[in-house]
Amino acid sequence: MTERYAMYIDASKCMGCRGCQVACKQWNDLQGFVPGVRETKNTGSYENPLSLDPQTWTRIKFSEYDNPDRFQWLFLKEGCMHCTDAACVDVCPTGALKHGPYGIVTFERDLCNGCGYCSQFCPFGIPKLEIINSVTGEAKSSKCVFCQDRTVNGLTPACVKTCPAAALEWGPRDAMVAKAELRVSELKAKLGFPEARVYGKTELGGLGRIYVLTAPASEYGLPENPRYPALGTVWQKILQPVGQIAFGAVIVGALGAFFVARRNVVMEEVE
Amino acid sequence: MTNHWVDLKNSDAILIAGSNAAENHPASMTWINKARDERGAKLIVVDPRFTRSAAKADIYLPLRSGTDIAFWGGLMKYVIDNNLYHEEYVVHFTNAATLINADFEDTEDGDLGLFSGFMDDDGDGYGSYDRKTWSYQTDADGNALRDETLQDPNCVFQLLKKHYQRYDLDMVAGVMGCSKAKLEEVYAAYAATGQPDKTGTIMYAMGQTQHTVGSQNVRCMAMVQLLLGNIGRPGGGVNALRGESNVQGSTDFALLAHLIPGYMAVPRAGDHPNLQAYIDVETPKTSYWSNKPKFLVSLLKAWWGEHATAENDFAYDYLPKVESAGNHYWISLFEAMHAGTIKGAWLLGQNPAVGGPNARFEKEALEQLDWIVIQEIFQTETVGFWREPGKDPLKIKTEMFVLPAADAMEKEGSIDTSGRLIQWRPKVAEAVGEALPDHDIIYLIGRKLKEMYEQDPGPYADPIKHLAWEYGGGPVHPVIGEMVDIEKVAVEVNGVAVEDVLDADGNVLAKKGDMLKTFGHLQADGKTACGNWIYVGYYYPMSDGEGNTLPASKRRGQKDPGGLGIYPYYAYSWPLNRRIIYNRASADSKGNPWPGGRELIWWDGAKWTGYDVPDFVVTKGPDQPGFNDPFIMQRDGKGGLFAAMVEGPFPTHYEPVESPTTNAFYPERNINPCVKVWRTKEGEDVGNTYGDPAKFPIVATTYRVVEHWQAGGMSRWLEWLVEAQPEMFVEMSEQLAAEKGIKAGDRLKVTSARGAIEAVAIVTKRFQPFTVNGKTVHQVGMPWHFGWGGGGPDEALGKGDTANHLTPHVGDANTTIPEYKAFLVNVEKA
Amino acid sequence: MSVQLRGTDSSISIRWIPKYTTLERLLHWVHTATFLPLALTGFVLFAPWLEPLAQGAAGAQIRLIHRVAAVFFGGVPIIYTLLQPRRMLMNLREFLSFGKYDLLWLKNAFPYYVLGRHGNMPPQPRFNTGERLTALVMVLGTITFGITGLSMWFLKGVISATLFQWMVVIHDLMFIVTFAMFIIHFYLAVVHPMMWQSLVSMRYGVVSESYAREHHAMWYYGEKRAKQMYEERQAKGEQH
Repeated sequence: MTERYAMYIDASKCMGCRGCQVACKQWNDLQGFVPGVRETKNTGSYENPLSLDPQTWTRIKFSEYDNPDRFQWLFLKEGCMHCTDAACVDVCPTGALKHGPYGIVTFERDLCNGCGYCSQFCPFGIPKLEIINSVTGEAKSSKCVFCQDRTVNGLTPACVKTCPAAALEWGPRDAMVAKAELRVSELKAKLGFPEARVYGKTELGGLGRIYVLTAPASEYGLPENPRYPALGTVWQKILQPVGQIAFGAVIVGALGAFFVARRNVVMEEVE
Repeated sequence: MTNHWVDLKNSDAILIAGSNAAENHPASMTWINKARDERGAKLIVVDPRFTRSAAKADIYLPLRSGTDIAFWGGLMKYVIDNNLYHEEYVVHFTNAATLINADFEDTEDGDLGLFSGFMDDDGDGYGSYDRKTWSYQTDADGNALRDETLQDPNCVFQLLKKHYQRYDLDMVAGVMGCSKAKLEEVYAAYAATGQPDKTGTIMYAMGQTQHTVGSQNVRCMAMVQLLLGNIGRPGGGVNALRGESNVQGSTDFALLAHLIPGYMAVPRAGDHPNLQAYIDVETPKTSYWSNKPKFLVSLLKAWWGEHATAENDFAYDYLPKVESAGNHYWISLFEAMHAGTIKGAWLLGQNPAVGGPNARFEKEALEQLDWIVIQEIFQTETVGFWREPGKDPLKIKTEMFVLPAADAMEKEGSIDTSGRLIQWRPKVAEAVGEALPDHDIIYLIGRKLKEMYEQDPGPYADPIKHLAWEYGGGPVHPVIGEMVDIEKVAVEVNGVAVEDVLDADGNVLAKKGDMLKTFGHLQADGKTACGNWIYVGYYYPMSDGEGNTLPASKRRGQKDPGGLGIYPYYAYSWPLNRRIIYNRASADSKGNPWPGGRELIWWDGAKWTGYDVPDFVVTKGPDQPGFNDPFIMQRDGKGGLFAAMVEGPFPTHYEPVESPTTNAFYPERNINPCVKVWRTKEGEDVGNTYGDPAKFPIVATTYRVVEHWQAGGMSRWLEWLVEAQPEMFVEMSEQLAAEKGIKAGDRLKVTSARGAIEAVAIVTKRFQPFTVNGKTVHQVGMPWHFGWGGGGPDEALGKGDTANHLTPHVGDANTTIPEYKAFLVNVEKA
Repeated sequence: MSVQLRGTDSSISIRWIPKYTTLERLLHWVHTATFLPLALTGFVLFAPWLEPLAQGAAGAQIRLIHRVAAVFFGGVPIIYTLLQPRRMLMNLREFLSFGKYDLLWLKNAFPYYVLGRHGNMPPQPRFNTGERLTALVMVLGTITFGITGLSMWFLKGVISATLFQWMVVIHDLMFIVTFAMFIIHFYLAVVHPMMWQSLVSMRYGVVSESYAREHHAMWYYGEKRAKQMYEERQAKGEQH
């Protein structure tokens, strides 16, 4: 399980059927439409829910790409990207988020203390905080974990298993990247998609999701150039070490000053 | 389907028309994608709207709902004019060369828009045809005359050419409302499969059938595939995508008004007063149907067992007879219910309150019943029809019985899918509460009826008393007692030898008490009993290719000799495990496979052999008559380019009953002249009313979405599905929305001559206005899954207004399948 | 007051000058009692090597303590302003006044406090330079912690992720500054041999006359007189 695995996602084959969305909920015991608790409404689109949330770890985003050469109705399977340079892992103060087997960014719910940093530092905005009490701050994070309980037992994630379009595959990352590049060249050369591209090969050190897209990433609602959050770098790589050094220095300085001063300074007399 | 699901991978061009396969049969995309990835096949989608299937297509062609015959007719003309038809196939395997009665008149002759023989006794413009002139010219022996040069003006080929002579690109594009260039692109791409080494498949569903010309739409597809030489070949076929996992099974077992199991006609009082009359009228001299008496007698023997004997005509007189099947189709039934003619109804797994056309009318019809039994898994809108908001339960006199039923996973049995594949499935879950499988409920009711008729026979108790009803032996239910041993049912359906069955030389073909292996062993003398002749073999123990022998439909063998996806050891296909029917046509007129690398079966000098079970007499060689007659269910063994249906031997474009325009081909004949147009309480709310295009100028269609299932009984109670697709919506073009000041997400009111509903607006580029005969025509579409919930503590999670409040109570001239797919509405902000 | 010298019969008298009101002292200790848990619980989230303490239910408790303490921490200035607005404003004005003597104080702080050379310290008002700086940092810190902390508490998902990230970074930066400042403040106010009276002042609210004269000459003598005395001393080059 030390080999890095990735999920190949071919948006050119995806039909937007939501099988993956439902399979994920079924496997992970997540809620759907619950009257009075979680209700979705049609806001003028097939898309529902309108964002990931603590009970939705993957979903399909719908967008219409009005390219004059070829109109496209785009379907994107959204979920945790399992980045190599995962900001969520770096900012997590409990180690609940970690790089785990197969390169999965795993999540151990018991360790999570609900701080929510992951949800704010992810460049894709993936982890969603389930707020149990907004006053005490009791909360738990949530996100796709590539069905860790299945994958470490040699199975594929539930979504991959269910996809009727065979648009999803789970396998060694290098092989998934190669497959994606082959498919993209096929889309461009033979199938009339000149804007086809791979997304996820090098972004953030390489994502755990390798997408085959038939249109620019922004048409799918993906950031064209996702970056590790600069403030995350500042926080983790500068403030944290510098701050602790500063404390250490001040304490040492004060101690030192104390010993020196004790000899030099006479207890003040009251006059 | 003539072919089957896996076979899609063998195709060079896949035409999805009147179907949204990626949406409603998502698993089919596995095989379609294989064809595209491995063979470079093209996927073409023709649909009023850019669907999830269109999103995956290589070519998308929009068409106005209800103009399919224009599309197909144009394709046929294109194929003929450009010589793209598969000549050897057409000449030898179809009736293209057959000469038709010289008195035959086409719609292009004489009375424009009508064939010869039209009878309109009451002068209301609708009627039926006397088909006398639609006959073949025959010689003294009764054999059809043929001209294999296809030149004779009376040959089918020339008549076909004449019939579609005006279906040129301009005309067709004008009627459909699409671009001529795109139309031609589609025609060229699909017509390319007429090459002998290519095959193309047509996948269709309700978008073709749910029209007043639905049967003729299907006829068109058959004709196109015959012209292109695509039937009986891997990657070809006319492929209906059935809408339920077992609806193919339901039609096999004749849950249809005009049939009894095995696609035999339901006995009619006038034509079939006794067994001999039925046999004489229904049995053709040629084709495999000449064996019909064996099928019928075996069926009667299965039903009445020891009480069906040669002496009493095998209990034929016990069978109920209809006046006319037409009185018993869905629409007719509800019309009769509404009129008070029908007193009681037993609905099994049906939600007409949501799924029935002119649903408000049909709900009113339910209220007229004295009693109703509803067998259901959830408390649907039909279960709660009496408590729908706006209804006063105190005014509804219907006595209701609700029988909780187990769902598909909670019972054991077989299903028959689109590809005629019969798969036995185990029970994998326990039913909740008091719910029972349908077969147990029906068995118990039958058992109880027999008991009651024993005690109190009345005037004619024998049909019930004498029913062979020994299906018990299953689990013992604490309250009800012994339940069904499903294997007993399976064995009966498969067919058994009641006595030893011998061949002509006295050899035993099947021993007394054994199951039958083939319907070739069925007898007309009472020696065999069989619940459905096409199913013979499905429960017979057969090898799965991996060392196990088990009932054929239980097999899951993975071997695929030939690599065409036949998988002969996987389950069982009717008839006789043939996976591609009419597969004689996969070889040329000499018996050699057509080129192209998809050899299926061939004549090896002594017999037919290959990777599929030959759908042909195995020993029939080139020197025997009928060697080139692959279509064994047709009397002449030829594919019917010319074939009689209620409204004619050739499909003709007629507009839907509610249309925004006139018939460009035959302005005097706007709609199908053989359609029965109901006018019950016309003009009254709720009645059978038809909309004026001036008031309802927008074409509407209904469809399904992947997230929901039919009338919602199996999906609107599931939280994950309802979350994904929670509300009733209507899709429209940006142009129409702009005209009406509508934005995405607005609540809209959609009205037709039959009702008004509310829905959320989806404004999209995927609908574009049509330019029809010079005018702009808008179209909208909506899912028909939603209902008000059913009421009670157990009501649906997903609720919404019912699309079928808008649809008309009118249907196809042959089958009366309702015209759900093309009608008129208006939309405005709510 | 009169104090008996140990081991003798004689006594001296100490005159005590009030410096802090009871409320001020009380609030200072509340401030301390909340600041320390805030800092410590914050530190658990801040330091990667304290990860095990931050986990699960224990971690949720840590976060809860941080919030409860934060409420009281934030309440201190509010209560102060409500109950003793004039003192609050007076202090604030003093905290905000800086002059050239403050630079001199900074220059002389090391020799004075560490090496014990008393001579050259310029006169200081009621709060010396260091005290004023500490106070300012604390005021600024309270406001900053308040804004960033409340944002992190209630505005997750309301403000943009980038803005939230800024809140986290600024909160952390302020923590480093204020805690370093606290260490120095604690050292000077409690530990430093010379400054024992500052703890007395915060416990009892008074400083001795001699202390005031020495350390807060501008307060004791008045600004003009203290400056005069200082300049005279400078001119004479006198060492204290």
